[in-house]
Amino acid sequence: MSAHSSALSQHSYAYRLKTARIGLWLFILSDAFVFSGLLVSRFYLLGGHRPELDQLVGFIVTSALLVSSFFMNRAEVQISRGNQRGLITNTIVTMVLGIAFLIGVVGVEWRIAPFGPATNVEGAVFFMMTGMHAFHVLTGVIFLAIILRNAIRGVYTAEKHWAVEAAANYWHFVDLVWIFFYPALYLIGTLK
Amino acid sequence: MNNNQDEAKQQELIQGVGIFLVLAILTIVEYFVGTRAPVAAIMWLLAILKAGLVLWFFMHIKRAFRDEGGH
Repeated sequence: MSAHSSALSQHSYAYRLKTARIGLWLFILSDAFVFSGLLVSRFYLLGGHRPELDQLVGFIVTSALLVSSFFMNRAEVQISRGNQRGLITNTIVTMVLGIAFLIGVVGVEWRIAPFGPATNVEGAVFFMMTGMHAFHVLTGVIFLAIILRNAIRGVYTAEKHWAVEAAANYWHFVDLVWIFFYPALYLIGTLK
Repeated sequence: MNNNQDEAKQQELIQGVGIFLVLAILTIVEYFVGTRAPVAAIMWLLAILKAGLVLWFFMHIKRAFRDEGGH
């Protein structure tokens, strides 16, 4: 293979996709360390106690995020089949469920929590963990809004849709974090 | 897209439904165990199981180690 054709292959979609994937996974790994630090600090600071939170709200927001992950998966599979409409519909549903999650946590749980972020250690831990996570959900919704705009313009095809795959992986990662945050905040430990 | 690829994608859609149902059942179990008789070890076990399913089936972690660059 000549130097010229080698340079071309390095700029092929397949090559860029492979390297972009490694980059995304490294980003996810580094972000996972941030969330792991928050999870460890919850158990270090609160030990066997948990904050007094509304269990029903916790279950509803957890369900919303879980269902959103399902629709995000469908959006990615649909575009990999070349189904533009399927991508658009499933992305919209995912965004709506993400916004519902934000309303549930920030709009409801933050308001009814019997403590503020500076009231006590419970408040500091709860608001830091949910705040950091909600910020990631918000950025995920913005990411999906960009995907939706591009999808409407017909940018993605069955062969080329890296941005959709990246958005889906980011969204599932946000769900993955909540899989650990939900029991840590709502279920594990006893009330004071 | 040829018939084999389309069939594989159709299979992936069906698999997505199956994984979602398993995750939903695990979440319901988690909620009921956690709000009635919470045992930390069971809560962690359920969380790790759910995270494993999301990582493997939804995030396709195996793609990160693949040599070819297709979707």
